[in-house]
Amino acid sequence: MPELYLRLLDRIMTPVLLVFSIVLLLRGHNEPGGGFIAGLVVAAAFELQILSRGEAVVRGSIGAYLQPLIGIGLSIAALSATLGVLYGNFFKGVWWDLHWGAVSLELSTPLFFDIGVFMVVFSIVTSYLLGLSQREE
Amino acid sequence: MTLSPNWLAAPIVIPMLTAALSLAFTRWNRRTAAKRQRNLAAIAIGLNLLVALLLLVYTLSGNRLVLQMGGWAAPFGITVIADGLTAILLTLTGLVAAAMLPFAVGTLDQRERMSFYPLMLFLLMGVNGAYLAGDLFNLYVFFEVLLMSSFVLLTLGGQAGQINGGIRYVVLNLVASVLFLAAAGLAYGALGTLNMAHLALRIPQAPVAVQTLLAGLLLIAFSSKAALFPLFFWLPSSYHTPHPVVTAFFGGLLTKVGIYALFRTFTLLFPLYLVEWQSLLLTIAGLTMLTGVLGALAANTMRRVLSFQIISQVGYMVMGLGLAGSSDATLASFGMAAGIFYLIHHMVVEVALLMVGGATELEVMSGSLLQRRLGGLMGRRPALAVIFFVAAFALAGMPPTSGFVSKLSLLQSALQNGNYVIAGVSLLVGALTLVSMARLWQHGFWGKATEPIYPTAPLSSVSGRWLTLTPIAALLTLSLTIGLYSAPFFRWSSTAAQQVLDREGYIQAVAPTDEIHFMGGEAHD
Repeated sequence: MPELYLRLLDRIMTPVLLVFSIVLLLRGHNEPGGGFIAGLVVAAAFELQILSRGEAVVRGSIGAYLQPLIGIGLSIAALSATLGVLYGNFFKGVWWDLHWGAVSLELSTPLFFDIGVFMVVFSIVTSYLLGLSQREE
Repeated sequence: MTLSPNWLAAPIVIPMLTAALSLAFTRWNRRTAAKRQRNLAAIAIGLNLLVALLLLVYTLSGNRLVLQMGGWAAPFGITVIADGLTAILLTLTGLVAAAMLPFAVGTLDQRERMSFYPLMLFLLMGVNGAYLAGDLFNLYVFFEVLLMSSFVLLTLGGQAGQINGGIRYVVLNLVASVLFLAAAGLAYGALGTLNMAHLALRIPQAPVAVQTLLAGLLLIAFSSKAALFPLFFWLPSSYHTPHPVVTAFFGGLLTKVGIYALFRTFTLLFPLYLVEWQSLLLTIAGLTMLTGVLGALAANTMRRVLSFQIISQVGYMVMGLGLAGSSDATLASFGMAAGIFYLIHHMVVEVALLMVGGATELEVMSGSLLQRRLGGLMGRRPALAVIFFVAAFALAGMPPTSGFVSKLSLLQSALQNGNYVIAGVSLLVGALTLVSMARLWQHGFWGKATEPIYPTAPLSSVSGRWLTLTPIAALLTLSLTIGLYSAPFFRWSSTAAQQVLDREGYIQAVAPTDEIHFMGGEAHD
């Protein structure tokens, strides 16, 4: 059952939460933030969707992708840890600075590890929330 | 021979990565997902066993292998360490998993399609990680990994009995986890470190109250995980509820992690308490053996009897730990070696027995020893009967199986130490084990058949028969090999025992520092 105020809140807050989570994810290595917290923020956005639009709608849109996302996230995290082996040590951080003219991009295995954690956390917490809001018929 | 320490990450990463990949597959082509998961699991389990064997060869020549993750020196980074005991346990875990895979293919019902193989791999990752962890907190984390996957495996399928057993299992294990976490928090608060080598250096300087509290909390937490008297209730109330494959997998792996943690912490962190509490440990061991075997005599279904037997057998390993608390170094080393040797024997034989017991239950879809529900399988399933007979003999400690030599070495160690009471108890329990095995034999295989064989029973088809019975036969062959050629196996156990008791060597290998020191060159700002 759609709740008017919640839908309004959902319209305003969901984009904010999603953008905020990306910010948290990217600043995570040296400042407060990181994949885990960003994942929780995304899960909060999905919880808002569940409350305003109902569990069935959310399950229909992303439910089937959650388990594969857990697997993919775990694989990314494990592979980025294993990449360090090529540079001497398991879990060793590897950093790349990429430049294309004015654009410069700093990539690193800790970032990929965090992205993996992010995917695992938001998929697992969202599937918990979906499970908890399921009603017995 | 030198070995790159990065190999130590393999027993954790291989199962984790394969499980993650096979989870990612489920979305596409759901129908064949189970088959692909099974193939991936076979690859992972094979690779894991190979790496474990490599580590075994390396460590049993007297080496330790230490990996400081990310190049951060000991107390600041994550330490992963393998010595003889770790490598022996990794190899046995790999063997058990390798035996379990064909057995699972042969016997599993629709539960195979409920992500059984990824869960099995996650459990394997947790067990491997717990053996390798070089600090208390990662030991806790890997305990949780294996517990989480075991919760799901236990209730996979969601039958009423499974949920009932699962709740007890979850609650009692969580209580033990909380105690363990409290101990880790206490260690960090009072001593400022969680690295085990660093703790081993700092614990002797701590106040006696802190030492005693820490040793006591860890003893309670690990005894509960290892199903020791009086904290074993979760085991017999849950192990008979899931599918027999899961029971066999749990019976082979889970309690042994608790035993390993006891071996490691008491020899490394609390050598004084090992001596001081020797009589306590031996009392716990004796009571565990006795209550386990008495429970097995009273229990009324096949797998409940075998679950109680796990408890009884775990007591023998703690007896080895207790005997390692002898003040004489040679006797202590002999006691430890006997305990490790028993661990080797037990992991092989208990898994084989739980597998054959499970296969028996699946034949008539009942494990009840009452009202002649089982019975008469001797004529109808002769191969199963022979395998059961050998496995039961091995568990009861009859020559020429590994059970005989392993019980004998423990007995000899106890007599040399002058611990006559525990020696007597272990003999009595051995005799009672034989009685309980005879009871299973009498109810399960002798007598007239009353129940028809279940139409889809695994042993009805030729391929099912091969898949189910070959791994059990292979494990029993290993048990007979250990029994007949016990000298090399005991020598390896002694090497492992000496390494476990050599605290200085462990501390030197990890080399904890008090200064932050990055080994990988320049640190990134």
